[in-house]
Amino acid sequence: MNPFFERDLRISRRQFFGKAASGIGVLALGGLLSQDGFASSLQGLAHQRHGTPPLPGLPHFAPKAKRVIVLWQGGAPSQVDLFDHKPGLAAHRLEELPESVRAGTRLSTMTASQGKYPILPAIKPFRQYGNSGTWMSELLPHIGSVADDICLVRTMNTDAVNHAPGVTFFLTGSQIPGRPSMGAWASYGLGSMTDELPSFIVMTSSDEKKTCGQLFFDYYWGSGFIPSKFQGVQFRSDGDPVLYLTNPPGMSADLRRKVLNDIAELDHQRLSEYGDPEIETRITQYELAFKMQTSVPELTDISKEPKSVLDMYGPDVLKKGTYAHNCLLARRLIERGVRFVQLMHSGWDQHSNLDTQLALQCRDTDQPSAALVKDLKQRGLLDDTIVLWCGEFGRTVFVQGDINRRDGHGRDHFGKCYSLWVAGGGFKGGKVHGETDDFSYKVVKDPVGVHDMQATILHQLGIDHERLTYRYQGRDFRLTDVSGQVVRPIIS
Amino acid sequence: MMPGRILAGLFAVTPFGLLLATNQQPKKVDYTHDVYPILSAHCSKCHFGDQKLAGLLLDSRAEILRGRVVIPGKSASSALLVRILGQGGMPRMPMGFAPLSDSDISTIRTWIDQGCIESTSGNHKHWAYVKPIRPKLPKVSNTQWVRNPIDAFVLSRLDQLKLKPSPAADRTTLIRRLCLDLTGLPPSPAEVDAFVADSRPDAYDRLVDRLFASPHYGERMALPWLDAARYADSNGFQQDGDTFQYVWRDWVVKALNDNMPFDQFTVEQLAGDLLPTKDVPENVVRNRQVATAFNRNHMLNGEGGAIPEEQRNVGLFDRVDTTSTTWLGLTMTCARCHDHKYDPLSQKDYYSLMAFFNNVPESGVPSDVNGPYYIAKPWVYAGTDEEMANFKALEGSVTEANRNVQKDEQSPELPGLQAQWEATTLKALDDTKTAQQLKVPVNIAAALKVPSGKRDVANAKVVRDYFLENGLTGSFKETRTKWHDLEKQLAEARNRLPKVMVMSDAQPRQTHIYSRGNYEAPLADVAASTPASLPSMPTNAPKNRLGLARWIISPENPLTARVQVNRYWQQFFGKGLVKTPENFGVQSEAPVNPELLDWLAVEFRESGWNVKRLQRLIVTSSTYRQSSKVSPTMVKMDPDNRYLARGARFRLPSMVIRDAALAASGLINLKVGGKPVYPYQPKAIWDGLNITDERDFSYPQSNGADLYRRSIYTFWRRTVKPGDMFDSSSRQVCTVRPSQTSTPLHALTTLNDVAWVEAGRALAEKVMRESKANSKGRLIDAFRRVCARTPSVKELAILQRALTQSISAFQSDPASATAYLRQGDSKRDAKLDPIEEAGYASVCLAILNLDEALTRE
Repeated sequence: MNPFFERDLRISRRQFFGKAASGIGVLALGGLLSQDGFASSLQGLAHQRHGTPPLPGLPHFAPKAKRVIVLWQGGAPSQVDLFDHKPGLAAHRLEELPESVRAGTRLSTMTASQGKYPILPAIKPFRQYGNSGTWMSELLPHIGSVADDICLVRTMNTDAVNHAPGVTFFLTGSQIPGRPSMGAWASYGLGSMTDELPSFIVMTSSDEKKTCGQLFFDYYWGSGFIPSKFQGVQFRSDGDPVLYLTNPPGMSADLRRKVLNDIAELDHQRLSEYGDPEIETRITQYELAFKMQTSVPELTDISKEPKSVLDMYGPDVLKKGTYAHNCLLARRLIERGVRFVQLMHSGWDQHSNLDTQLALQCRDTDQPSAALVKDLKQRGLLDDTIVLWCGEFGRTVFVQGDINRRDGHGRDHFGKCYSLWVAGGGFKGGKVHGETDDFSYKVVKDPVGVHDMQATILHQLGIDHERLTYRYQGRDFRLTDVSGQVVRPIIS
Repeated sequence: MMPGRILAGLFAVTPFGLLLATNQQPKKVDYTHDVYPILSAHCSKCHFGDQKLAGLLLDSRAEILRGRVVIPGKSASSALLVRILGQGGMPRMPMGFAPLSDSDISTIRTWIDQGCIESTSGNHKHWAYVKPIRPKLPKVSNTQWVRNPIDAFVLSRLDQLKLKPSPAADRTTLIRRLCLDLTGLPPSPAEVDAFVADSRPDAYDRLVDRLFASPHYGERMALPWLDAARYADSNGFQQDGDTFQYVWRDWVVKALNDNMPFDQFTVEQLAGDLLPTKDVPENVVRNRQVATAFNRNHMLNGEGGAIPEEQRNVGLFDRVDTTSTTWLGLTMTCARCHDHKYDPLSQKDYYSLMAFFNNVPESGVPSDVNGPYYIAKPWVYAGTDEEMANFKALEGSVTEANRNVQKDEQSPELPGLQAQWEATTLKALDDTKTAQQLKVPVNIAAALKVPSGKRDVANAKVVRDYFLENGLTGSFKETRTKWHDLEKQLAEARNRLPKVMVMSDAQPRQTHIYSRGNYEAPLADVAASTPASLPSMPTNAPKNRLGLARWIISPENPLTARVQVNRYWQQFFGKGLVKTPENFGVQSEAPVNPELLDWLAVEFRESGWNVKRLQRLIVTSSTYRQSSKVSPTMVKMDPDNRYLARGARFRLPSMVIRDAALAASGLINLKVGGKPVYPYQPKAIWDGLNITDERDFSYPQSNGADLYRRSIYTFWRRTVKPGDMFDSSSRQVCTVRPSQTSTPLHALTTLNDVAWVEAGRALAEKVMRESKANSKGRLIDAFRRVCARTPSVKELAILQRALTQSISAFQSDPASATAYLRQGDSKRDAKLDPIEEAGYASVCLAILNLDEALTRE
């Protein structure tokens, strides 16, 4: 940069602060102190830039989607009961699962030594939904009502047999913690679309009685070895939605604004003496923090949502911390330019309470999940927003525990085949992908591995999963590790 | 004036690349050291190893020549260069990836023009795999500037680039820099004044000596080591049980304070349990065991359904990865599934290294649960020497008391006493009223009713035991009660004692290579051995962790000393001489000053691995003392300060930022060591962990002085790290490179977290009480406590305006002043005017949030 030009700029800055101090131009401050230092700050006043640019060369090709919402169904929903329609099983109820089917499958320690493996068909009937006639459980009428907008993949498979490794695998590409998560990769590669909110946001919820016992660890949205600014920011339902968002008691917004101006002015003094561009960055971040203090409360305030919208998400929507509430917030985040939203819901780990819990979980999640799809669609946002509904694996077709006790049986973890669905962002609505065997135990046709699914999601975002890499320990790491193929038949 | 102004003038129109080119003796570029890393980074996907697209291989000089893509001496007509430039109407290589940087292209061009040299050193190995030899000191332009050999190497590099070092920073900056670097605590105004006024020629050295002797030196130095050792106070995963590994953390702090030589530091942590114990004091043996907790600090999964053997293998992998990253800068992880693509590390090497760690008598999941603690065998009791002595004494007393009890039981008086008691009891049992009071269990009452001669053996025993517990009187009763009391005390003491998970080789196992890292798919057997491409272990060395540890610190090992001095350098300059401290392999970034790195490595090793001595060399060098001011031209020329023509300036780690705020405000509690504490955390920070009734995860916030302990002592829950410790390692896996990012969330933390708000208030009270009565004196004092220096006239004017502003804001709403001052548990000084105090508190919080306050300049 030309030092003379820079000095001119500094003078204008000083003049500006003279004004800011007297209370004028507070709002314009953010523009002046915009992201990329001197050059853009001159343009700043004319046309404010939003967000940060993608990496050079990205997107690799024209994207179908700009945003992602992950509706994480933690604990692993039963594909046998919800999505993988096997009418033939009814005739074999409680018969032993044939050894030829079961042989060689890795099971968790909870059933590996069970000795008996009686078949339990879906506990509630299936029916066909939509013009596409997609078979799904009658426990999912709302998801059924958007059957023509969703793409159901019945042939997911994973190596993991336990929760933490399974979730870590799906969300970071490796079973062992320490890799960047999918949202972190997306933010890193594509940049952000807003200055006022983090580009990757996470919210958690759990079934009311916490029967599931699934924890959500921060590495499910971590940044691993890529810079920590790309990690997901957790919005909390208790206390400040973002940690330390609120001014301390007694510190009014007006006084805080003045204090921030003072800090910025002092930092500029230091900048003029030390010349370190990091000081410039710091000033920008303090300004963004102030913006976030206004934008987050506005975002989380749903009081102005019309009743028709609230009704769509169901009665829980008004209760902070519920899945329904989070689904609505997800839409509001997407509308405000957030790139990646990850809802982590826990409730599906039905080892011993399938009969009592499955219906409750469906009740809690079915309507809000469907409402989100509808809500996005009616706002024209579904076309370029991917909504992914999935868990870490599926569940066994055979019973775990004592079938004679209503609250004493269920299904164990199972990764060799399970189901998920995706809507929007160029995924084919009304499509059912893949075939499994008669026992929902093996993939027969079109298997989809976790890395394949990740590759496909990145693909829709305009990213070649083999080319979005980060060098660490001398190796170019990527989300999909050393595998992954885009699943062409499910995208348009 | 800006210090770089002269330089800026000199190079105002000279691009950096030209500077290099005008160098009189251009550096010889060779394939092994310069070109191979570039090609392996950009071309290996298609032209390395078994990938031979278009029939072209670039992974050796011979292959490149065979492929005729270079004509030595003629870069312009060499296809390699033409293609990476995208000339000749063909797609630019690497196709579909980002093009090479200008400097990489220029390296390849020079290499071709210089005739495609294989290796300048005559050694075809990657530099880091060749044992460092002490380089000769270079001749430099200005010997005055050279205080020690570090400066000679740095200045020689600057001379080559025709750059001049920056002037030394002023004394105020230097004392703050030294204090923060060596102890993590800012200097007090009195310390600053004393140092500035100290006219003795060795004033600087005296200050350095004082800081090296501080008990807080070890606390500061431990932070990066704890990150490498993925130290936490809980296991991670679902139950996230607490552990007692803090005893190991204290071991580290003490070892660093005692300046334990790095070779001993290494051997004790890797194999302290295998050192000879004959004639070694018990506490020393115990401390050496505790040291081995290094390799038990990994995560531990107790999730229901977790397969122990799978989890055990995950732990083994972690030990291999952590040990090789921490000591060797090797990326062994790659070789878990296949031979390393870039470095000479085979899959066999990986599992041979794993074999050293595979003899631990462990299941893979937590084995011992007590309250919140979930620990896995093997572990040792590890209290302080005093606690252990008391524990031992107590054990002795219990044995003694038990002996007395047994003696009593043999007493000839006893049968008579029992008969008497039986008679009395039987009589009492006949009366319903007294029987109820006696509460004799039904089975005893029944047995009693059988005459003593006719009871069977079992009943006789039941009655006798009951009598011994309930029927004794006088001294017999006293002896027995004493025994019971002592046993209870012993159980409680046992419960209280920390139990540290440590290493042990008590369960030898056969190690196998795993097909693609899958423990269920074992292939060939392997024996414990170090990587084949590195110098081998002496044949007589034990093939166990002790042998491994000694190999790591052997003079033949090319990596250990370099890796370690590079991390020290990183601590004092923000970045290592090798920018990739986690990787010294072929894909690492070559050091900009390899001679300096090698000199430091050899010096370190030959000094007997004397850590403080090496660090002293660094911080007393002219290089370290330079001012960190920088001109725009220099920012452009050397944005990362790789050549060190200026001092380093970087944001402090969040742990140090908090400590510095606590220290400036006077709130800090400088107690060293002990159990972790629970300072302020956001409401419900751990509530997400409350998934079952098994355990209550409410945050047990500390009270009083424990709220103000240094951040190293904050309880580190592995699943939810402390909310205000931004940019810190997650302590889940080994981390040796600090994260230095800047986000709005960091600003929100230091502006709104009660820890900082309270520190601002305490600082306000301090200066209101202790400084001159006028606002000017108070503001200067507050500023100095945080930034060490006195604010300029201009800055002071801003601070005074800020104070007036804040006071008037609080005046207009007095209730807000009270509310603002109520933050934090420390009691406020009621004698101070609340409006005025709130005004100062707000300004003090602003000072704590200045870029300068968060930064080490």
